[in-house]
Amino acid sequence: MRDYPLENRGAFPPHVAAGAGASISLAPVKGGFVIHLLGDAKSDEAALKKALAKIAPELGADVRKSAPNQWFWVGDADVSSDRLTEIQAGLPSQFALADQTHGRVRMRLSGPSSRTVLAKGTMVDLSADLFAIGQSAMTQIGHIGAMITRIEDDSFELIVLRSFAGSLWDELNHMAAEFR
Amino acid sequence: MSSLVKCPHCGLRPREEFTIRGEVATPRPDAGADEALWFDHVYLRDNPRGEHREYWHHSGGCRRWLVLTRNTLTHETSDVVDASTLKLGERA
Amino acid sequence: MTSFRIDGGTLIDRNDVRRFTFNGEVLTGFGGDTVASSLLANGKQLVGRSFKYHRPRGILTAGAAEPNALLTIGRDGRRDPNTRATMAELFDGLEARSQNCWPNVNFDIGAANGLLGPLLGAGFYYKTFMWPAAFWEKVYEPLIRKAAGLGRASYDPDPGYYEKCWAHCDLLVIGAGPAGLAAALTAGRAGVRVIIADEGVQLGGGLIAEGSPVGGKPADAVLADIIGELHALSNVEIKKRTTVFAAYDDQVFGAVERVQKHLPEGEINPHRAMERLWRIVARQVVLATGAEERPIVFGGNDRPGVMMAGAMRTYLNAYGVAPGKRVALFANNSQAYQTALDLEVRGIEVAAIIDPRTCPNIDYDGKARLIAGAMVRDTAGRKAIKSITVRHDDGRDEVIAVDALGVSGGYSPIVHLACHRGGKPVWSDAHVGFMPPENTDGMTPCGAVAGKAGIADCFADGGVAAVKALAELGVMGEAASLPGVEQTAETVDHIQPVWHVASTKGKAFVDFQNDVAASDITLAMREGYDHVELAKRYTTNGMATDQGKTSNVNAIGILAENKGVSPGEIGTTTFRPFYTPVSFGALVGASKGMDFQPVRKSPLHGWAGRNGAKFVETGLWYRSSWFPKDGETFWRDSVDREVNTVRTKVGICDVSTLGKIEIFGADAAEFLNRVYCNAFLKLPVGKARYGIMLREDGFVYDDGTTSCLGGNHYFMTTTTALAAGVLTHLEFCAQVLWPELDVRLASATDQWAQMAIAGPRSREVLSKIIDDDISNEAFPFLAAREVSMFGGRLKGRLFRISFSGELAYEIAVPAGYGESVADAVMAAGEEFGITPYGTETLGVMRIEKGHVTHAEINGTVTPADLGMGRMVSAKKDDFIGRVMNLREGLVDPDRPALVGIKPKSPSDKFATGSHILNPGEDVSLANDQGYVTSMCHSPTLGHAIGLALVKNGPKRHGEEVVIWNGLAGTTVTGILCNPAFVDPENEKLHA
Ligand SMILES: [Zn+2]
Repeated sequence: MRDYPLENRGAFPPHVAAGAGASISLAPVKGGFVIHLLGDAKSDEAALKKALAKIAPELGADVRKSAPNQWFWVGDADVSSDRLTEIQAGLPSQFALADQTHGRVRMRLSGPSSRTVLAKGTMVDLSADLFAIGQSAMTQIGHIGAMITRIEDDSFELIVLRSFAGSLWDELNHMAAEFR
Repeated sequence: MSSLVKCPHCGLRPREEFTIRGEVATPRPDAGADEALWFDHVYLRDNPRGEHREYWHHSGGCRRWLVLTRNTLTHETSDVVDASTLKLGERA
Repeated sequence: MTSFRIDGGTLIDRNDVRRFTFNGEVLTGFGGDTVASSLLANGKQLVGRSFKYHRPRGILTAGAAEPNALLTIGRDGRRDPNTRATMAELFDGLEARSQNCWPNVNFDIGAANGLLGPLLGAGFYYKTFMWPAAFWEKVYEPLIRKAAGLGRASYDPDPGYYEKCWAHCDLLVIGAGPAGLAAALTAGRAGVRVIIADEGVQLGGGLIAEGSPVGGKPADAVLADIIGELHALSNVEIKKRTTVFAAYDDQVFGAVERVQKHLPEGEINPHRAMERLWRIVARQVVLATGAEERPIVFGGNDRPGVMMAGAMRTYLNAYGVAPGKRVALFANNSQAYQTALDLEVRGIEVAAIIDPRTCPNIDYDGKARLIAGAMVRDTAGRKAIKSITVRHDDGRDEVIAVDALGVSGGYSPIVHLACHRGGKPVWSDAHVGFMPPENTDGMTPCGAVAGKAGIADCFADGGVAAVKALAELGVMGEAASLPGVEQTAETVDHIQPVWHVASTKGKAFVDFQNDVAASDITLAMREGYDHVELAKRYTTNGMATDQGKTSNVNAIGILAENKGVSPGEIGTTTFRPFYTPVSFGALVGASKGMDFQPVRKSPLHGWAGRNGAKFVETGLWYRSSWFPKDGETFWRDSVDREVNTVRTKVGICDVSTLGKIEIFGADAAEFLNRVYCNAFLKLPVGKARYGIMLREDGFVYDDGTTSCLGGNHYFMTTTTALAAGVLTHLEFCAQVLWPELDVRLASATDQWAQMAIAGPRSREVLSKIIDDDISNEAFPFLAAREVSMFGGRLKGRLFRISFSGELAYEIAVPAGYGESVADAVMAAGEEFGITPYGTETLGVMRIEKGHVTHAEINGTVTPADLGMGRMVSAKKDDFIGRVMNLREGLVDPDRPALVGIKPKSPSDKFATGSHILNPGEDVSLANDQGYVTSMCHSPTLGHAIGLALVKNGPKRHGEEVVIWNGLAGTTVTGILCNPAFVDPENEKLHA
C-alpha cells in the first residue's frame, strides 16, 4: 500500500495564532480528548467517575455534566482508537460512549477581562462567587452553542462543535479586541 | 429583548436558548385508539387567556424537553418541569 | 453675534475649546457641552423646523424628552439623524445639521404649509389622502415623505462596531439623581451587587444643576463625595451614558450605553463598541427616573426662546449659558421660582413671573415682578421670541418684551419603566400627575418619580427605597443620609393644573414634534375620537420619536377638561419599550456583514477549497457546489463533466453536512422501529437501511439511512436541512413520548468527515486505502461497518449506500483526518480519472435516478405519493404517523404522486414549479394535474428531465401533458415517465 500522508488537522486555520494581551488571551487547546458519555436513567456521576478511575486512571476524571445523565469527559492526553475500544468495552453497560474528540473543539479564554468578554455572548452569570472553578454550563455564546467550564480564577474553557469553531473564534476575537 | 426561563437542569436562562413547540396536547393515544382521539392529539390546541402549558426545548442548553406553565396574560411562569415527568410521574 | 456664555457651569471645561459646525457655520463650545448648550451659548435659538407646518423651533429642554432640537449629526456612515441636541455631547469636529428645512433653516419653503394649516389638522392623513386609491403610491406617499420626513438615514454602512452584553446584579438603580445615588450608596454599603445606570454624562441628575448649597456645602462638592464613595465600592458598577429603555419580563432590563458616540472620529477605538446594548438581569430594582417638567399649552408656545424653566436652570448652572438677557417665567408651581432666583444671581433680568395661581403662597424674595392669577396667552417674534402677551385676572392684556420665556406646567413622573410590563399609572390630584402603578413587583419607585420634590426629600426617599429592596433580598440596610441636611416635614407643592390657556389666540401646541395643537385635540373629540387611544392615533399626539414625553399628559388634561372629568378617568395610552429611541446599530449588535450569522464549515472545507470548489450557503453551512476546471466558464460545463465522470469513472463528494446521530441503549432498536414507518427491529449488525420518518399527521418528515454498528448501537444519517430538526424530534420522542425506553442520542455530525465515493471504479479506488475486503461478496449493497484504513493507521466507517444510483460508498473518518483521507482518495483515484463533485452534481444525479429530497418531501406527501407506499409497515402496532397516514384523504388513489417528466422535443426546457395540465384544457385550478418539483439538464440523457407530483402519475407513464409556466408565460409539451431515468433495474447499485 502506498504511504499516504495522514495528518490530524485542527479546526482552526493554520495562520491563527493565540492572541495574548494585557487582560485577555484566547488560545486553542490542541490535542487531548473529548468523549461524550451517555448514562441510562439511573446513572450517576459518582458511579461514572469510579468506573473511569478503574478503566482509565491515566486519563483523569474531568467529567463535565452537559445534561441529565450526560457528560463530556475531557483530558489533555491523546487516546488511540484501540484504547478507546478498550475503554468502551470496560465501561459498565449503563454508560455508552461516543468519541467527540474531532467533533468538539476546545479553546481557552483567560485573563481579568474574560468574564466581560463572555458576557457579550452568554447570559450565564459567571461571577466568581456564583460559578465555581470546575463548574460547567451548556449555553449559547451569541448564536453558537458552547459548553463553558471555569478552569481557574479567570480562565474558562469553551467546548464548541467543530463546524462552528471558526465562527466562535472570530466572534471571541472581536469581543476581546478592545482589551488587547 | 429577552425574558428568562428557569430550566430545572440548567437554572435561569434566556428565552433565546429555548425552542417552543406549542401546547401540551392530549397524551399520545394508544395505537388502537379511536380516530377522534388521534385527531384531538394531533390537531386540537387551546389558545387560552391565562394559564397555559407548553413544551419548551432547551435547545441551546441541556437539550431536554420541558413543560412550562405560564400565564399568557401576565407572562408569569409558574412551573417548569422535565417533560418526561408527564409520563414517568416523578420529577426528573 | 452675542455670546450667551456666562460664568460658572459645573459640567464644562473652559480650557477645552471645541470647534464644530452647525449648518456649515463654524462655532465653538467647551468640553462638557452638549450640542444644545453650545448652540444656545452661540445665540442659536432657532435650530430646526417643525414636522408638519415647518414652524421655526428652538431648544425646549435640557434632556431626553427634547421634541424640537433634532439634528443630523456626523457624516457618511457615521451620520445619525434625529439626534437630540440636548443629549449629544459636543466633540471637536462635530458636524450638525438642521432637519425639515429646505433650502435652509432660516428660509424654509415648506413653511408655506403653515398657510395650508386648515388642511393639515387632526386626521388629515385620513381625510385628505383618501381618494383615489391609485394616488397613494405615486402622489400622496412621495409627497408626504418629502415634505414631512424627519432626518434621513445614511446609505453608507456604519463603520462602527456594536455589541450586546448581559449584566447581572442584586439591585439595579435606574437614574442617578439624588434618589438614585442614595439608593446606590445604601445598597452598596450593604455589600450587594449594585448597578446604577444613568443616561447622563455625569451622575447627579438634579444635583448637577442645583445652584444652592446642600447641607451648607456646594452641591457639586456634595455630589463629588457621593460619586467618590460609589467608585470606591467594588460591588457597585456605575454605568454612565446608559439609558435603561425597557423593563421586560422576569426582571430583564434593556439598556443602551453610548460608549464612543461622543468622540471625534480620530479618537474612536475601532475595536470598542460605539454603543452597547445591555440586558441587565436584576433581582430588585430601584426606580429613580425622576419627573419630566411639562410645558403649558398657550398661543405661540413653540416659538424659539420658549424653554422649560428647569432646562433654563440646567443651562445656567451646569453649562454657564444664559437663556436670554431678559427672561420671563410662566409657571403654575413653586419649583420654577428657583430658576428665577438663579437667573437673578447670575445678573440676568427676570422681567416677570406669571403665575396662574391667585395666591402662590411661596416665600420668593427675588426682585422679579410677580403677576399672580395671570396667564401667558400669546407670544410674538418671527424666528425668536420678542414679547409675550399676558392676560391678567381682570381680563386686561399686557405685552412684555422678553427674549426668553421659561415655562413650567407641573411635573410628570417618568413612570415608563414601571408600566412596560402592563401596569397602569395612577392619577394623583395632589401631584397633578400620573404616578407609578401601585403594584410594581420587584421595583421600588422613589424620588421625583414617586412624587417627591427637592434634593433632600428625594435623597431620603432613595435611601428608604433601597432599604426596602434590600429587605426583599434578605439583607439589612441603613438608609444613606446627606451630611448636614435636616430632614424637614415633607411638603407637597400646590400646583394649579393649566391644561390649556383658554384665552389663547394663535396655535397652541401640545405635541411639538408632531405639530399637534390644542385645536386638533378638540377637533378629534368633536369627531368622536375622544378615547385616549383613538385621540392619539387620530391626532398623532405622542406618536413621534419622543413618544409624547412633554405632550401626553397635557393632551390627556385637555381631553379631561373638555369632557369634564378627571385626567385619571381618561387614563394614559399604553407604555411600551423603548423609552427613548435606540439605534439599529445597537439592536443589531455585532451580527452584521460576514458576522450576520455563524458560518458552519465542513471538515473538508479546506480540501474543497484547494480543489477549486465554488461554495454555496445552505443554511449556515458552506457547501461545495461544483469544481470548475480550467476552461470551464459556465457552472453547467463543470456539472455536466462531473456527472459524466461519476457515471463512467468515479467521483468524490463531501457529504459531511448530513446530520449524524449516534443512538445507544437497550431499547434503541424498538425506538427506531417507532420513529421510522418501515421496519427496523431486525436490522442486523453491519447493515444499513433506508428509512422514512413520518410526522404524526401522516406526512413524510425526513429520510435517511440508519446502520446497526453493534448490539445496542446505531448510526443514523439525516438530510442536511433537517439535521437539527430530526435530533430535536427524536429527543421529543425519547423524552416525552417514551421516556420508559432506554435510548440515548448523541449528535455526531461534527465528529465525522464523510465523503461519498461513487462511480463504477469506486471500489477499486477504495480498495487502495481500505485494508478490509470490500468485494461485492464481502461488502454487498447496504453493508455498513467499521473498517481499517491505510494499513491500520486509521479506522473509519464504511457504508455501501448510493444517492447517485452508481456503485457507491460513503466513508466516514474522524473529522481531523478528513482532508488527508480526501487527498488520499483523490490520489488513489487519479489513475481512474477521479473528479471531486459538488451539490449540483449530487442534485442532477439523484434526479436522474429518481431519488427524492426536500423538493419532493415538502410537507404534503406521503410515502405512497413518493412511490414508497409499500415501505410503510402494516405489521407494526405503532409508529409515528401510523394512524394519520391511513386516513381517507391520504390514501386517495387520485393524489398527486411522483413521476418523471421530460420534454417531448429534447431541445425544450421547463422550470421547477411549472404546473401540469392535460392537453387542450384551460389553465385553471380545477384542471391542475400537479407540478414539477425538481428539474435539471441530464448530461446522461442529453436533455431536460424532471420529477413531478401528478395526479395518479404512476399510472400515466407515457402520457403527453402540458408543462405550463405561468410566471414566464410559456408552455412545453412533456411526457410523463418512470422517475428512475437511469438504471431503473438497480443493476449498478449491486454491481
Ligand atoms: Zn436546560
